[in-house]
Amino acid sequence: MSTNEGILYANPPDLLRRFVSTPLKACYSYEGIHFTVETNDFTLLPELPLACNPEAARERGPRWKLVRDQDIRGPLGAPITLTSRRLTVVTIGTACLLGVDYDRQEALGFIGADVSPRAYKEYLVPFLCRLSSELRLQRCGIPRRKSASVYE
Amino acid sequence: MSTDCHLFCECNPEALFRVTVDNIVNATLAFDTSALAFTSEFQLAGARCIFSTNVRELRDNSLNWRAVSSPSSSETFEMEILVDPHVRFDSARGAHFRGLHHLVFAVLPPFGSFTFDLLRKRVVGVVASEVADDDIFWNAQLLPIAIGVLGTTVGVAPMHCACLDHQGDALLLAGHSGAGKSTLAAALAQCGFSFVSDDWTYISRGRSFVVAHGLFAPIKLLPDSARFFPQLKELSPVRTLNGEVAYELDADRHMGASMKRNSRPKWIFFLERTNSSGCQFNPCRPEFTRQFFEQNAERLPCELLDAQRRRSALIQELSECPSWVIRTAEGPLETARALSQFIAEKNHVNE
Repeated sequence: MSTNEGILYANPPDLLRRFVSTPLKACYSYEGIHFTVETNDFTLLPELPLACNPEAARERGPRWKLVRDQDIRGPLGAPITLTSRRLTVVTIGTACLLGVDYDRQEALGFIGADVSPRAYKEYLVPFLCRLSSELRLQRCGIPRRKSASVYE
Repeated sequence: MSTDCHLFCECNPEALFRVTVDNIVNATLAFDTSALAFTSEFQLAGARCIFSTNVRELRDNSLNWRAVSSPSSSETFEMEILVDPHVRFDSARGAHFRGLHHLVFAVLPPFGSFTFDLLRKRVVGVVASEVADDDIFWNAQLLPIAIGVLGTTVGVAPMHCACLDHQGDALLLAGHSGAGKSTLAAALAQCGFSFVSDDWTYISRGRSFVVAHGLFAPIKLLPDSARFFPQLKELSPVRTLNGEVAYELDADRHMGASMKRNSRPKWIFFLERTNSSGCQFNPCRPEFTRQFFEQNAERLPCELLDAQRRRSALIQELSECPSWVIRTAEGPLETARALSQFIAEKNHVNE
Protein backbone atom coordinates (compact mmCIF):
# COMPACT_ATOMS: atom_id res chain seq x y z
CA MET A 1 0.00 0.00 0.00
CA SER A 2 1.43 3.37 -0.94
CA THR A 3 1.61 6.19 1.55
CA ASN A 4 0.92 9.78 0.79
CA GLU A 5 3.94 12.06 0.98
CA GLY A 6 3.32 14.17 -2.07
CA ILE A 7 1.19 17.09 -0.98
CA LEU A 8 2.77 20.36 0.06
CA TYR A 9 0.62 22.75 2.04
CA ALA A 10 1.79 26.33 2.25
CA ASN A 11 1.51 28.43 5.37
CA PRO A 12 -1.89 30.07 5.65
CA PRO A 13 -2.11 33.67 4.46
CA ASP A 14 -2.00 36.41 7.06
CA LEU A 15 -5.71 37.21 6.76
CA LEU A 16 -5.76 39.47 9.79
CA ARG A 17 -2.66 41.42 8.61
CA ARG A 18 -1.08 40.73 11.97
CA PHE A 19 2.40 40.33 10.59
CA VAL A 20 2.63 43.33 8.29
CA SER A 21 6.06 44.85 8.72
CA THR A 22 6.05 48.43 10.04
CA PRO A 23 9.62 49.61 9.56
CA LEU A 24 8.94 53.36 9.40
CA LYS A 25 9.09 55.30 12.65
CA ALA A 26 8.72 58.97 13.53
CA CYS A 27 7.64 61.13 16.42
CA TYR A 28 4.66 63.44 16.53
CA SER A 29 4.25 66.45 18.73
CA TYR A 30 0.78 67.94 18.55
CA GLU A 31 -0.65 70.47 20.94
CA GLY A 32 1.82 69.42 23.59
CA ILE A 33 1.17 65.70 23.23
CA HIS A 34 3.99 63.47 22.05
CA PHE A 35 3.69 60.07 20.50
CA THR A 36 5.57 57.84 18.12
CA VAL A 37 4.13 56.26 15.01
CA GLU A 38 5.44 52.98 13.66
CA THR A 39 3.98 52.23 10.25
CA ASN A 40 4.31 50.73 6.78
CA ASP A 41 3.32 53.96 4.98
CA PHE A 42 5.27 57.20 4.62
CA THR A 43 2.06 59.23 4.37
CA LEU A 44 1.21 58.33 7.96
CA LEU A 45 4.37 60.02 9.19
CA PRO A 46 4.48 63.73 10.07
CA GLU A 47 5.70 66.07 7.36
CA LEU A 48 8.10 67.61 9.84
CA PRO A 49 8.90 64.90 12.34
CA LEU A 50 10.52 65.78 15.61
CA ALA A 51 14.24 65.34 15.47
CA CYS A 52 14.30 62.63 18.05
CA ASN A 53 15.25 59.06 18.49
CA PRO A 54 12.04 56.98 18.38
CA GLU A 55 13.32 54.73 21.15
CA ALA A 56 13.99 57.67 23.40
CA ALA A 57 10.61 59.12 22.49
CA ARG A 58 8.87 56.15 24.07
CA GLU A 59 9.58 57.77 27.40
CA ARG A 60 7.76 60.88 26.28
CA GLY A 61 4.62 59.30 24.91
CA PRO A 62 2.95 56.17 23.64
CA ARG A 63 3.89 54.31 20.48
CA TRP A 64 1.23 53.71 17.85
CA LYS A 65 1.52 50.81 15.47
CA LEU A 66 -0.49 51.92 12.44
CA VAL A 67 -0.90 49.67 9.44
CA ARG A 68 -1.97 51.17 6.13
CA ASP A 69 -4.35 48.51 4.85
CA GLN A 70 -4.64 48.55 1.07
CA ASP A 71 -7.41 45.96 1.12
CA ILE A 72 -9.89 48.02 3.11
CA ARG A 73 -11.77 50.47 0.95
CA GLY A 74 -14.27 53.16 1.83
CA PRO A 75 -14.36 56.50 3.58
CA LEU A 76 -14.15 57.44 7.21
CA GLY A 77 -17.53 57.32 8.92
CA ALA A 78 -19.05 58.39 12.20
CA PRO A 79 -16.71 57.21 14.95
CA ILE A 80 -17.92 54.71 17.49
CA THR A 81 -15.75 54.52 20.56
CA LEU A 82 -16.22 51.52 22.75
CA THR A 83 -14.53 51.44 26.12
CA SER A 84 -14.68 48.34 28.22
CA ARG A 85 -12.65 48.28 31.37
CA ARG A 86 -9.02 48.83 30.29
CA LEU A 87 -9.55 48.70 26.55
CA THR A 88 -10.79 51.34 24.12
CA VAL A 89 -11.66 50.59 20.51
CA VAL A 90 -12.58 53.22 17.93
CA THR A 91 -14.30 52.25 14.69
CA ILE A 92 -14.41 55.13 12.20
CA GLY A 93 -16.46 53.71 9.40
CA THR A 94 -14.84 50.70 7.83
CA ALA A 95 -11.77 52.74 6.96
CA CYS A 96 -10.20 52.98 10.37
CA LEU A 97 -9.90 50.76 13.41
CA LEU A 98 -8.00 51.89 16.49
CA GLY A 99 -7.40 50.00 19.71
CA VAL A 100 -5.82 51.16 22.97
CA ASP A 101 -4.90 48.80 25.76
CA TYR A 102 -4.28 50.86 28.90
CA ASP A 103 -2.78 48.04 30.95
CA ARG A 104 -0.28 47.07 28.31
CA GLN A 105 0.23 50.67 27.17
CA GLU A 106 -0.30 49.58 23.59
CA ALA A 107 -1.93 51.54 20.79
CA LEU A 108 -2.72 49.86 17.49
CA GLY A 109 -4.64 50.63 14.36
CA PHE A 110 -5.50 49.98 10.73
CA ILE A 111 -6.11 52.76 8.23
CA GLY A 112 -7.83 51.97 4.95
CA ALA A 113 -6.53 52.74 1.48
CA ASP A 114 -9.00 55.55 0.78
CA VAL A 115 -8.05 57.67 3.78
CA SER A 116 -6.11 60.55 2.24
CA PRO A 117 -3.03 62.04 3.88
CA ARG A 118 -5.08 65.17 4.50
CA ALA A 119 -7.94 63.30 6.20
CA TYR A 120 -5.37 61.47 8.25
CA LYS A 121 -3.62 64.66 9.33
CA GLU A 122 -6.71 66.76 9.98
CA TYR A 123 -9.06 64.15 11.37
CA LEU A 124 -7.25 61.08 12.61
CA VAL A 125 -4.15 62.64 14.14
CA PRO A 126 -6.28 64.61 16.63
CA PHE A 127 -7.95 61.31 17.50
CA LEU A 128 -4.58 59.67 18.05
CA CYS A 129 -3.61 62.59 20.24
CA ARG A 130 -6.72 62.29 22.37
CA LEU A 131 -6.21 58.57 22.86
CA SER A 132 -2.47 59.07 23.47
CA SER A 133 -3.29 61.60 26.11
CA GLU A 134 -5.64 59.16 27.87
CA LEU A 135 -3.03 56.45 27.61
CA ARG A 136 -0.44 58.68 29.20
CA LEU A 137 -2.78 59.72 31.99
CA GLN A 138 -3.51 56.09 32.71
CA ARG A 139 0.18 55.31 32.88
CA CYS A 140 0.58 58.07 35.44
CA GLY A 141 -2.31 56.63 37.43
CA ILE A 142 -4.69 59.50 36.67
CA PRO A 143 -8.26 58.25 36.06
CA ARG A 144 -9.92 58.85 32.74
CA ARG A 145 -11.80 62.11 32.44
CA LYS A 146 -15.41 62.29 33.46
CA SER A 147 -17.69 62.51 30.50
CA ALA A 148 -20.79 64.62 30.40
CA SER A 149 -22.64 62.96 27.64
CA VAL A 150 -24.90 64.11 24.92
CA TYR A 151 -26.09 61.96 22.07
CA GLU A 152 -27.34 63.92 19.12
CA MET B 1 -28.03 59.78 13.58
CA SER B 2 -30.78 59.88 16.14
CA THR B 3 -32.11 63.13 17.44
CA ASP B 4 -32.71 61.52 20.81
CA CYS B 5 -30.77 63.14 23.57
CA HIS B 6 -29.46 61.52 26.72
CA LEU B 7 -27.55 63.19 29.50
CA PHE B 8 -25.31 61.30 31.90
CA CYS B 9 -23.57 64.04 33.87
CA GLU B 10 -22.59 61.87 36.81
CA CYS B 11 -21.37 58.78 35.03
CA ASN B 12 -18.61 56.80 36.60
CA PRO B 13 -15.29 57.61 34.88
CA GLU B 14 -14.10 54.08 35.58
CA ALA B 15 -17.22 52.68 33.92
CA LEU B 16 -17.08 49.10 32.86
CA PHE B 17 -18.57 49.91 29.53
CA ARG B 18 -18.82 53.21 27.73
CA VAL B 19 -19.79 54.01 24.20
CA THR B 20 -19.02 57.30 22.56
CA VAL B 21 -20.43 58.30 19.21
CA ASP B 22 -18.79 61.37 17.70
CA ASN B 23 -20.14 63.09 14.66
CA ILE B 24 -20.38 66.77 13.82
CA VAL B 25 -21.25 67.26 17.45
CA ASN B 26 -19.17 65.24 19.87
CA ALA B 27 -21.51 62.94 21.68
CA THR B 28 -21.11 60.32 24.34
CA LEU B 29 -23.20 57.52 25.69
CA ALA B 30 -21.84 56.31 28.96
CA PHE B 31 -22.52 53.10 30.78
CA ASP B 32 -21.48 51.99 34.19
CA THR B 33 -21.14 48.47 35.48
CA SER B 34 -24.86 48.05 35.96
CA ALA B 35 -25.46 48.56 32.24
CA LEU B 36 -24.68 44.95 31.37
CA ALA B 37 -26.97 43.58 34.00
CA PHE B 38 -28.35 40.62 32.08
CA THR B 39 -26.04 37.64 32.17
CA SER B 40 -26.07 34.01 31.13
CA GLU B 41 -23.58 31.18 30.96
CA PHE B 42 -23.31 28.52 28.33
CA GLN B 43 -20.96 26.03 26.73
CA LEU B 44 -19.67 26.87 23.26
CA ALA B 45 -17.65 24.09 21.64
CA GLY B 46 -15.30 23.07 24.46
CA ALA B 47 -15.38 26.34 26.39
CA ARG B 48 -17.62 28.12 28.86
CA CYS B 49 -18.90 31.54 27.89
CA ILE B 50 -20.04 34.14 30.42
CA PHE B 51 -22.37 36.35 28.42
CA SER B 52 -23.55 39.78 29.55
CA THR B 53 -25.64 42.41 27.87
CA ASN B 54 -27.81 45.41 28.58
CA VAL B 55 -30.94 43.91 26.99
CA ARG B 56 -33.01 41.24 28.70
CA GLU B 57 -34.39 39.88 25.43
CA LEU B 58 -30.88 39.17 24.12
CA ARG B 59 -29.90 37.40 27.33
CA ASP B 60 -33.07 35.29 27.14
CA ASN B 61 -32.39 34.48 23.48
CA SER B 62 -28.82 33.47 24.29
CA LEU B 63 -30.05 30.51 26.27
CA ASN B 64 -31.85 29.16 23.20
CA TRP B 65 -29.10 29.50 20.63
CA ARG B 66 -28.57 26.19 18.85
CA ALA B 67 -24.84 26.06 19.37
CA VAL B 68 -24.94 26.41 23.13
CA SER B 69 -25.38 23.85 25.86
CA SER B 70 -25.07 23.79 29.64
CA PRO B 71 -21.65 24.88 30.87
CA SER B 72 -19.30 22.16 32.03
CA SER B 73 -15.81 23.31 31.05
CA SER B 74 -13.57 25.29 33.34
CA GLU B 75 -12.01 27.07 30.36
CA THR B 76 -13.85 30.37 30.35
CA PHE B 77 -14.16 33.45 28.20
CA GLU B 78 -16.40 36.49 28.53
CA MET B 79 -18.66 38.08 25.97
CA GLU B 80 -19.91 41.60 26.68
CA ILE B 81 -22.46 42.85 24.18
CA LEU B 82 -23.98 46.28 24.24
CA VAL B 83 -27.18 46.73 22.27
CA ASP B 84 -27.53 50.32 21.14
CA PRO B 85 -30.55 51.58 19.21
CA HIS B 86 -28.56 54.39 17.62
CA VAL B 87 -25.49 52.75 16.16
CA ARG B 88 -25.52 52.03 12.44
CA PHE B 89 -23.01 50.11 10.37
CA ASP B 90 -22.79 50.75 6.65
CA SER B 91 -24.17 47.59 5.08
CA ALA B 92 -22.75 48.58 1.70
CA ARG B 93 -19.34 47.56 3.07
CA GLY B 94 -18.45 43.94 3.60
CA ALA B 95 -17.36 42.28 6.80
CA HIS B 96 -13.70 42.47 7.62
CA PHE B 97 -11.34 41.18 10.28
CA ARG B 98 -8.02 42.61 11.35
CA GLY B 99 -5.65 41.85 14.19
CA LEU B 100 -2.55 43.23 15.86
CA HIS B 101 -0.80 41.77 18.87
CA HIS B 102 -3.50 40.35 21.17
CA LEU B 103 -6.43 42.26 19.67
CA VAL B 104 -8.65 41.15 16.81
CA PHE B 105 -11.23 43.50 15.34
CA ALA B 106 -14.32 42.31 13.48
CA VAL B 107 -16.60 44.75 11.68
CA LEU B 108 -19.76 42.95 10.58
CA PRO B 109 -22.09 45.40 8.85
CA PRO B 110 -24.99 45.90 9.39
CA PHE B 111 -24.92 43.93 12.64
CA GLY B 112 -22.17 45.40 14.74
CA SER B 113 -18.53 45.67 15.60
CA PHE B 114 -16.57 43.41 17.93
CA THR B 115 -13.15 43.29 19.51
CA PHE B 116 -11.55 40.10 20.74
CA ASP B 117 -8.98 40.49 23.49
CA LEU B 118 -7.02 37.26 23.31
CA LEU B 119 -4.99 37.85 26.45
CA ARG B 120 -7.96 38.64 28.67
CA LYS B 121 -10.17 36.07 26.90
CA ARG B 122 -12.92 38.56 26.30
CA VAL B 123 -15.15 39.73 23.46
CA VAL B 124 -16.63 43.21 23.61
CA GLY B 125 -19.07 44.39 21.02
CA VAL B 126 -21.77 46.83 20.14
CA VAL B 127 -24.72 45.76 18.01
CA ALA B 128 -27.76 47.42 16.52
CA SER B 129 -31.09 46.77 18.29
CA GLU B 130 -32.57 44.61 15.57
CA VAL B 131 -29.70 42.14 16.02
CA ALA B 132 -30.84 41.15 19.50
CA ASP B 133 -33.43 38.68 18.24
CA ASP B 134 -31.64 37.67 15.04
CA ASP B 135 -30.77 34.10 16.01
CA ILE B 136 -29.29 33.40 12.59
CA PHE B 137 -26.66 36.07 13.14
CA TRP B 138 -25.64 34.68 16.52
CA ASN B 139 -25.75 31.00 15.57
CA ALA B 140 -24.29 31.15 12.11
CA GLN B 141 -21.94 34.10 12.44
CA LEU B 142 -20.91 35.54 15.77
CA LEU B 143 -20.64 32.38 17.87
CA PRO B 144 -18.51 30.52 15.30
CA ILE B 145 -16.40 33.66 14.84
CA ALA B 146 -15.98 34.05 18.61
CA ILE B 147 -14.76 30.51 19.20
CA GLY B 148 -12.72 30.63 16.00
CA VAL B 149 -10.85 33.73 17.15
CA LEU B 150 -10.68 33.13 20.91
CA GLY B 151 -10.68 29.34 20.92
CA THR B 152 -6.94 28.80 21.10
CA THR B 153 -6.79 30.87 24.30
CA VAL B 154 -9.31 28.61 26.06
CA GLY B 155 -8.01 25.22 24.94
CA VAL B 156 -10.14 24.90 21.80
CA ALA B 157 -8.30 24.46 18.50
CA PRO B 158 -10.30 25.54 15.43
CA MET B 159 -9.49 23.14 12.57
CA HIS B 160 -10.37 23.72 8.95
CA CYS B 161 -12.21 20.47 8.33
CA ALA B 162 -15.66 18.93 8.35
CA CYS B 163 -16.75 16.39 10.96
CA LEU B 164 -19.29 13.60 10.71
CA ASP B 165 -20.23 11.03 13.27
CA HIS B 166 -20.62 7.32 12.63
CA GLN B 167 -21.94 5.37 15.60
CA GLY B 168 -20.18 7.57 18.12
CA ASP B 169 -16.90 7.89 16.24
CA ALA B 170 -15.94 11.02 14.36
CA LEU B 171 -14.58 11.20 10.87
CA LEU B 172 -12.69 14.43 10.10
CA LEU B 173 -12.65 15.51 6.49
CA ALA B 174 -9.83 17.90 5.59
CA GLY B 175 -8.25 19.17 2.40
CA HIS B 176 -7.61 22.27 0.36
CA SER B 177 -10.34 24.83 -0.21
CA GLY B 178 -12.25 23.77 -3.29
CA ALA B 179 -11.47 20.07 -2.89
CA GLY B 180 -15.13 19.35 -2.21
CA LYS B 181 -15.17 18.79 1.58
CA SER B 182 -18.56 20.42 2.09
CA THR B 183 -20.14 18.59 -0.82
CA LEU B 184 -18.78 15.27 0.43
CA ALA B 185 -19.90 16.10 3.98
CA ALA B 186 -23.43 16.76 2.68
CA ALA B 187 -23.34 13.49 0.75
CA LEU B 188 -22.17 11.58 3.84
CA ALA B 189 -24.98 13.20 5.83
CA GLN B 190 -27.35 11.66 3.29
CA CYS B 191 -25.63 8.27 3.67
CA GLY B 192 -26.53 7.90 7.34
CA PHE B 193 -23.67 9.80 8.99
CA SER B 194 -24.66 12.29 11.68
CA PHE B 195 -23.57 15.82 10.93
CA VAL B 196 -21.31 17.64 13.38
CA SER B 197 -19.72 20.45 11.36
CA ASP B 198 -18.94 21.59 7.86
CA ASP B 199 -16.15 24.10 7.34
CA TRP B 200 -14.71 24.40 10.84
CA THR B 201 -14.44 21.84 13.60
CA TYR B 202 -13.36 22.78 17.13
CA ILE B 203 -11.08 20.36 18.94
CA SER B 204 -10.76 20.39 22.69
CA ARG B 205 -9.39 18.08 25.35
CA GLY B 206 -12.02 15.95 27.05
CA ARG B 207 -11.42 14.03 30.26
CA SER B 208 -9.37 11.32 28.59
CA PHE B 209 -9.42 12.03 24.86
CA VAL B 210 -9.82 14.85 22.35
CA VAL B 211 -13.33 15.86 21.35
CA ALA B 212 -14.51 17.35 18.05
CA HIS B 213 -17.26 19.97 18.39
CA GLY B 214 -19.60 21.54 15.88
CA LEU B 215 -21.64 24.70 16.22
CA PHE B 216 -24.68 23.87 14.09
CA ALA B 217 -23.41 26.28 11.45
CA PRO B 218 -25.03 25.78 8.05
CA ILE B 219 -23.39 23.72 5.31
CA LYS B 220 -22.16 25.97 2.51
CA LEU B 221 -22.41 24.48 -0.96
CA LEU B 222 -21.32 26.24 -4.13
CA PRO B 223 -24.02 26.76 -6.79
CA ASP B 224 -22.75 23.89 -8.99
CA SER B 225 -23.59 21.45 -6.15
CA ALA B 226 -27.23 21.64 -7.26
CA ARG B 227 -26.53 18.95 -9.85
CA PHE B 228 -25.79 16.48 -7.03
CA PHE B 229 -28.53 17.53 -4.62
CA PRO B 230 -31.93 18.11 -6.25
CA GLN B 231 -33.32 19.68 -3.09
CA LEU B 232 -31.05 22.69 -3.64
CA LYS B 233 -33.13 23.74 -6.63
CA GLU B 234 -35.79 24.94 -4.19
CA LEU B 235 -33.29 27.24 -2.48
CA SER B 236 -31.47 30.35 -3.62
CA PRO B 237 -27.74 30.91 -3.16
CA VAL B 238 -26.81 33.79 -0.87
CA ARG B 239 -23.70 35.90 -0.45
CA THR B 240 -21.85 34.50 2.56
CA LEU B 241 -19.70 36.32 5.09
CA ASN B 242 -16.53 35.76 3.09
CA GLY B 243 -18.13 37.10 -0.08
CA GLU B 244 -18.75 33.76 -1.77
CA VAL B 245 -22.11 33.03 -3.34
CA ALA B 246 -23.29 29.70 -1.94
CA TYR B 247 -26.27 27.74 -0.75
CA GLU B 248 -26.51 27.74 3.03
CA LEU B 249 -28.48 24.81 4.30
CA ASP B 250 -29.21 23.05 7.54
CA ALA B 251 -28.04 19.46 7.55
CA ASP B 252 -31.14 18.35 9.40
CA ARG B 253 -33.81 20.38 7.61
CA HIS B 254 -32.48 20.19 4.06
CA MET B 255 -30.49 16.95 4.07
CA GLY B 256 -32.54 14.95 6.51
CA ALA B 257 -29.40 14.26 8.56
CA SER B 258 -29.30 13.83 12.30
CA MET B 259 -27.20 16.42 14.11
CA LYS B 260 -24.61 15.83 16.81
CA ARG B 261 -23.04 18.46 18.99
CA ASN B 262 -19.72 16.63 19.33
CA SER B 263 -17.98 13.34 18.71
CA ARG B 264 -14.72 11.55 19.39
CA PRO B 265 -12.27 11.71 16.46
CA LYS B 266 -11.34 8.28 15.15
CA TRP B 267 -10.39 8.74 11.48
CA ILE B 268 -9.02 11.62 9.39
CA PHE B 269 -9.37 11.83 5.62
CA PHE B 270 -7.70 14.34 3.30
CA LEU B 271 -9.76 14.84 0.19
CA GLU B 272 -8.11 15.32 -3.21
CA ARG B 273 -9.58 15.39 -6.69
CA THR B 274 -7.85 13.32 -9.33
CA ASN B 275 -8.32 12.59 -13.02
CA SER B 276 -7.74 8.86 -12.71
CA SER B 277 -10.91 6.85 -12.26
CA GLY B 278 -12.29 5.49 -9.00
CA CYS B 279 -11.63 6.33 -5.41
CA GLN B 280 -8.34 5.44 -3.73
CA PHE B 281 -7.45 5.48 -0.04
CA ASN B 282 -3.76 6.03 0.70
CA PRO B 283 -2.62 5.98 4.34
CA CYS B 284 -0.75 8.96 5.83
CA ARG B 285 1.84 9.10 8.55
CA PRO B 286 0.95 10.97 11.77
CA GLU B 287 3.67 13.50 10.91
CA PHE B 288 1.91 14.36 7.66
CA THR B 289 -1.38 14.87 9.52
CA ARG B 290 0.30 16.96 12.20
CA GLN B 291 2.03 19.15 9.62
CA PHE B 292 -1.17 19.64 7.66
CA PHE B 293 -3.08 20.97 10.65
CA GLU B 294 -0.16 23.00 12.00
CA GLN B 295 0.45 24.66 8.65
CA ASN B 296 -3.20 25.36 8.07
CA ALA B 297 -3.77 26.81 11.52
CA GLU B 298 -3.83 30.54 11.96
CA ARG B 299 -0.46 32.08 12.74
CA LEU B 300 -0.51 33.52 16.23
CA PRO B 301 1.50 36.49 17.51
CA CYS B 302 4.26 36.11 20.08
CA GLU B 303 1.90 37.37 22.81
CA LEU B 304 0.04 34.06 22.52
CA LEU B 305 2.84 31.53 22.88
CA ASP B 306 1.00 29.59 25.55
CA ALA B 307 -2.10 29.29 23.37
CA GLN B 308 0.09 28.14 20.50
CA ARG B 309 1.68 25.42 22.63
CA ARG B 310 -1.71 24.16 23.76
CA ARG B 311 -2.96 24.09 20.21
CA SER B 312 0.12 22.16 19.09
CA ALA B 313 -0.46 19.61 21.84
CA LEU B 314 -4.04 19.09 20.63
CA ILE B 315 -2.90 18.75 17.03
CA GLN B 316 -0.24 16.24 18.10
CA GLU B 317 -2.84 14.16 19.87
CA LEU B 318 -5.28 14.40 16.99
CA SER B 319 -2.65 13.35 14.47
CA GLU B 320 -2.39 9.96 16.16
CA CYS B 321 -5.75 9.07 14.57
CA PRO B 322 -5.42 6.80 11.53
CA SER B 323 -5.40 9.04 8.44
CA TRP B 324 -5.78 8.56 4.71
CA VAL B 325 -5.74 10.66 1.57
CA ILE B 326 -8.81 9.99 -0.56
CA ARG B 327 -8.03 10.52 -4.22
CA THR B 328 -11.29 10.52 -6.08
CA ALA B 329 -12.54 11.15 -9.57
CA GLU B 330 -16.09 10.27 -8.58
CA GLY B 331 -19.01 12.49 -7.66
CA PRO B 332 -19.76 13.22 -4.01
CA LEU B 333 -22.44 10.57 -3.62
CA GLU B 334 -20.21 7.82 -5.09
CA THR B 335 -17.25 9.00 -2.98
CA ALA B 336 -19.47 9.03 0.12
CA ARG B 337 -20.54 5.45 -0.57
CA ALA B 338 -16.91 4.37 -1.10
CA LEU B 339 -15.89 6.09 2.13
CA SER B 340 -18.77 4.52 4.00
CA GLN B 341 -17.76 1.10 2.70
CA PHE B 342 -14.09 1.73 3.60
CA ILE B 343 -15.02 2.60 7.19
CA ALA B 344 -17.28 -0.43 7.49
CA GLU B 345 -14.38 -2.65 6.37
CA LYS B 346 -11.97 -1.01 8.84
CA ASN B 347 -14.47 -1.47 11.65
CA HIS B 348 -14.97 -5.11 10.63
CA VAL B 349 -11.20 -5.73 10.70
CA ASN B 350 -10.94 -4.13 14.15
CA GLU B 351 -13.73 -6.35 15.46
